[in-house]
Amino acid sequence: MKERVTYILSRVLELVITLLIVSLLTFAAFSIIPGDTASVLLGINASPAQLEALREKLGLNDPLWYRYLSWLKGAFTGDLGDSTAFGKPVAELIVSRLPVTFGLSFLSLILVLVISYPSAVISSGKPGKFWDQFFSVIGHVSFAIPPFVLSLISILVTSKIFGYFGVGKYVEPSKDFFGYVYCLLLPAFCVAVPKIAMAFKFLRASILTEKNNDYVRTSKSRGLSNIKIMFRHILPNSNVSAITALSIILSDLLGGSLIVEQVFNLPGLGRLLLQAIGRRDFPLISGIVFYLAAMMVIVYFLADILMNLCDPRLRKNGGNI
Amino acid sequence: MIYADYILEVKDLSLDFKSEGDKILNNISFNIRKGEILGLIGNSGCGKSMTALSILGLLPKDARILSGQVVFDKNDLLEKTDRQMREVRGKDIGMIFQEPYTALDPLKTVYKNLEEVLTEHEDLTREVRREMIGKMLERVGFENTGDIMKRYPHELSGGQRQRVLIAGACLLKPKLMIADEPTSSLDTVTSMSILELIKSLCAELRMSVLFISHDLSIVGNFCDRVLVMKKGNIVDSGNAFDLLYNPQNPYTAELLSNSRLDPKQLDLEFNKPSFSSECALKVTDLCAGYTSGNGFRKERKEIIHNLSFKILKGEVVGLIGSSGCGKTTLTRAICGLIRPYSGTVTDTKGKLGVVFQDPIMCLNPAHTVMWHLAEPLRANKIKMSKDELKKAAVDALVSVGLDENILGRHPSQLSGGQRQRVAIAMCLMLNPSLIIADEPLSALDTSSGARILKLLSQINKERGTSILLISHNLRVVRAATTYVLVMDNGNIVEDGPTKNVLSHPKTEVTKKLLLAETTLHMNPDRQQFMTE
Repeated sequence: MKERVTYILSRVLELVITLLIVSLLTFAAFSIIPGDTASVLLGINASPAQLEALREKLGLNDPLWYRYLSWLKGAFTGDLGDSTAFGKPVAELIVSRLPVTFGLSFLSLILVLVISYPSAVISSGKPGKFWDQFFSVIGHVSFAIPPFVLSLISILVTSKIFGYFGVGKYVEPSKDFFGYVYCLLLPAFCVAVPKIAMAFKFLRASILTEKNNDYVRTSKSRGLSNIKIMFRHILPNSNVSAITALSIILSDLLGGSLIVEQVFNLPGLGRLLLQAIGRRDFPLISGIVFYLAAMMVIVYFLADILMNLCDPRLRKNGGNI
Repeated sequence: MIYADYILEVKDLSLDFKSEGDKILNNISFNIRKGEILGLIGNSGCGKSMTALSILGLLPKDARILSGQVVFDKNDLLEKTDRQMREVRGKDIGMIFQEPYTALDPLKTVYKNLEEVLTEHEDLTREVRREMIGKMLERVGFENTGDIMKRYPHELSGGQRQRVLIAGACLLKPKLMIADEPTSSLDTVTSMSILELIKSLCAELRMSVLFISHDLSIVGNFCDRVLVMKKGNIVDSGNAFDLLYNPQNPYTAELLSNSRLDPKQLDLEFNKPSFSSECALKVTDLCAGYTSGNGFRKERKEIIHNLSFKILKGEVVGLIGSSGCGKTTLTRAICGLIRPYSGTVTDTKGKLGVVFQDPIMCLNPAHTVMWHLAEPLRANKIKMSKDELKKAAVDALVSVGLDENILGRHPSQLSGGQRQRVAIAMCLMLNPSLIIADEPLSALDTSSGARILKLLSQINKERGTSILLISHNLRVVRAATTYVLVMDNGNIVEDGPTKNVLSHPKTEVTKKLLLAETTLHMNPDRQQFMTE
């Protein structure tokens, strides 16, 4: 138990250090690129005096390290500053977009799990045979198709033929939860398709590797059927490696999907980031990047914990094999 | 003992692979009596494992049975459907395999690993299952069974895992147990205890055993009868004692001499170093081990404690000890793969070759033999023209007894013995003053092993290369070395000329190793050792 606690504590410490490094890099990157917030706000015709006054007001004339530290202090108390473009607190802006991004991510993740697992199990049952070929071809196609093409095609198909009315609409979950899910279903599918293909490929490969392991032979010699061996031994073992792939997919999903949000006109994080970059809204950009990094680190952190629970071999030596 | 009748009769069994033309099994017939231990001996690739797998109906998809019958308990197993076969497997026929390290599901506790045998074949309550597993674990030699049941496979040693697997195979008191090389990855002392366990279980449960091995001398005093297989045919059979002491068939005699590694029959010749010659390797007060933990906190686990020894130029030195005594750690420290905590390792010119245990794992499957032979030169930044390189590679291959035309082959196209030769040729490319061979024979069958040993002796004689031969197999050390070091708990406890140490052992470790060896193998020296 003590080992477990020290393990988790050391991982939390790593998490904090990663976030610090990310914030420093974002800050540095946006200080180096030409053109600051003041010049964007005032436009190209602004006089130097006006620019100087605005810079003074926004605190842009303070030394870099001072600006970084004051921003950092704010970040840890939940205050990421005010957006220069929207005039609202950054934290509030990000939080307002989270229902879309979280909803999309969650629905897509469910689709990924529900579709990739069965298809990988069926495929790896008889590698090289019909169903394997079938799923592999579909996998290749869905991996290769560009998201905007897929989005447009699926809008066309669902709304024209099946009469789906969720396109281009968005309902707040607090107002109408089922309406919210309904609106997000099709975008979630479009986001999920390439991820399903990725998860499928990964799972199939890892199941095929596990199948050749000696413990499978042991169970066969004990009279277990192939199906039982699959569910009792092969799948739990391939899960250990699949968790890594799934955590990459999830952290990718949580970053918001620029194109799909754009096509479906959803107020998600991806669009917010696009707008922020266009307007040189530095507090907003660093806020979003900070959020993305935090999500990624947290997802990996959770994946590590999950793997630790799944695989007894990882529990010793503080998580190293 | 009078055997009532046969438990298993194999009649005219023939088998081939769809992709290859040659027959894997060619009309083989044999039978096993009730309560008998039958040994099935042969070199790798002779079809012995295929015989076992065809009895259980677990042949690879590519294999095809051409003719024959496998009559078990009056039923032809080959005619049964897969569903019917599943009822036989694990219940009437139990099987244990070669590699206990990987044969258990790593994610499940010992209890969970064993429980599936019971849930699959019997309808029992949880308490009864627990009790049965506990009893069986106690029977196979575990003391604290409640604790063992909760452990995971990686927390057990190789011998303990093999015991767990045996417990699994015997849980339902099968009529036949098939043991496919159950001891070949275990050290001598552990092997002996595993064999004794199988033998006593066999008597107690009135079980028959089909014991598959490549090592004829191991099976000697373990089996009742022995079959010798060669390229899919049974070439010799008979009472184990007769085969061992008076082999009539020339092939059996050859297997036997390979297994015993008799230096005279093998014609091993070694360079005799003079005592004044300089050291090829000198290890002084070495402490080494593994460091674990993260960047903040480090934990040292010292395995080698204050160890010193030296190897003279041209000398062949053996290093013996049971598994876990620190042999591998010592090799790694000498090669510089781990940094010693203290002490020094000095060699003459810094040229050192290493041959590892498993030739399958240590060659890169993506590259050719030529690439592997050039690797040591690349790593040492030695520039050579293409022609020079090819000439050097061919020279090295010829020295290890391989033909020039395998230069373009990939490791998967080579046999185990050939791969080990390529590994040795890789060492020779740099013309080292010392070769460290870490269990170079243990992944090979006895015939290939004997040839590798012969090769090492030739290299020693012709080039004057010193060799440090690490092994748990005393026969290897006795046959090939002039001086021996005995290791225990990370230190050298005994050393001296091989003959003296092995005939007048001073420490408990050496005595234990010798006893295990003599019990395992019918050894010509046995009488001598016993009287002493």
